[in-house]
Amino acid sequence: MVIGGGIAGIQAALDLAEMGIQVHMVERLPSIGGKMAQLDKTFPTNDCAI
Amino acid sequence: MEQVSGEVGAFKATIRKKARYVNQDLCTGCGSCAEKCPTMVVDAYNAGMGKRKAIYKYFPQGIPSVFTIDAPECRQLGQGKKCGVCAKVCQAKAIDFDQKDAIIEIEAGAIILATGYDVFDPSVIPEYGYTTINNVVTALEFERLLSASGPTAGHLDRPSDLLMEKDLEEGEKEVKKLARQVKSLEDKHGKTSADVVAAVKSGSAAVDDELIQWAQAAEKLAALEERVATLQKKTAAVQTAKKLAFIQCVGSRDFRFNRFCSSYCCMHSVKEAMIANEHDNAVNSSIFCMDLRAVGRGFEEYKLRGGKQANIKYVRGRVAEITEDEANNPIVWYESTTTQKVEHETFDMVVLATACVPTEGTAKVAELFGVELESNGFFKTHPLAPLNTTRPGIFTCGCAQGPMDIPESVAQASSAAARAAEVVAPLATVEKQKAVG
Repeated sequence: MVIGGGIAGIQAALDLAEMGIQVHMVERLPSIGGKMAQLDKTFPTNDCAI
Repeated sequence: MEQVSGEVGAFKATIRKKARYVNQDLCTGCGSCAEKCPTMVVDAYNAGMGKRKAIYKYFPQGIPSVFTIDAPECRQLGQGKKCGVCAKVCQAKAIDFDQKDAIIEIEAGAIILATGYDVFDPSVIPEYGYTTINNVVTALEFERLLSASGPTAGHLDRPSDLLMEKDLEEGEKEVKKLARQVKSLEDKHGKTSADVVAAVKSGSAAVDDELIQWAQAAEKLAALEERVATLQKKTAAVQTAKKLAFIQCVGSRDFRFNRFCSSYCCMHSVKEAMIANEHDNAVNSSIFCMDLRAVGRGFEEYKLRGGKQANIKYVRGRVAEITEDEANNPIVWYESTTTQKVEHETFDMVVLATACVPTEGTAKVAELFGVELESNGFFKTHPLAPLNTTRPGIFTCGCAQGPMDIPESVAQASSAAARAAEVVAPLATVEKQKAVG
């Protein structure tokens, strides 16, 4: 079970799922993405955050 | 999360799944409901700078692509008024005002706490003027201003100018309304407003209440028109922000608030200054810092590239105070440790690189899961096992463990997943063997 659907929670959940393990993700807000979804671009490559 | 029991390998969690008041299986995410919803709400996603409707998606690309009703703000659910516009326009018939919170029981072998962080509230530092000077914003607010999906569609409009435009809009509306009133009076009596004002002022005999009100309206209109004209002149001259200041360590490395370094803000400011310059080459920025911490692969090169190609000046010195001039320009007062003098400089906008602090609910989460916190309020871990909380089977990663940037969060997340798999995978194998045997 992963608590939090930000970038850390999403990555952890995806990795576990890829290992064939069933994952439950619990998120407080209506959408996953967390703070990273609020960012426009990310350093050091200036890639789009979403 | 309501309750957690059990132990490593066999946790039991009770979760409250909050009602969306929208049927997740039926909603297509088309957005007709939000288009017609009459209620405007301050948008948390845009750091409070924009508005959204009471039925909303947290952000356009949000997953799941399902709308949600913000119950306390909704006319029907929160205020008990008759509305239901969303239900009327929804072709998928997905709106369900009677939906209730659901209680779900989950069994889990391991738990990962990835609850993230909050941004430090700079209003507790009055000398930086966050609440008093409109053009002082936080890094997250600035991020939304830079974003094409943000409140200004990516243009660096200054908050003070946006307020002025709003003011002008309201003024113009009022002028129109008053002008209509005065015009109808003029038509009715066949006199000009100027005559009436003169008559009322001279106190001539035929003055009644209606004329006095007329004169007052006419005078108010004249004053308003003048104000609107000045505002029009001012807004016509408005330009997007060209000269930016970034203030580092706002709330971190500060003994009054947090002693720790928030680690990502140096690079975050460099990035924001670079993106601002990318949008508009006339933008130049000064980053005020004690030292600029560019620790990470490619970070130092990124910082230097910012200096060379994006008009970024790095100033060594801690900012003491931010004041404001008549044109709403913030003035930054600081001691330059290079010249060893107290200096000041005027900017179009100031961005505060606010600290990364534990989320408001971290203490509650810790209590619920039975894990300890460290002195700064993040989840406690051991230096040699940085993802293990103090309770076996519960791991943590990302900013819930301490301030870190995205690459580090992702790396930690993968590690935490591996740690959790170490617990869960053997159990799954045993179960499989049981099923076979």
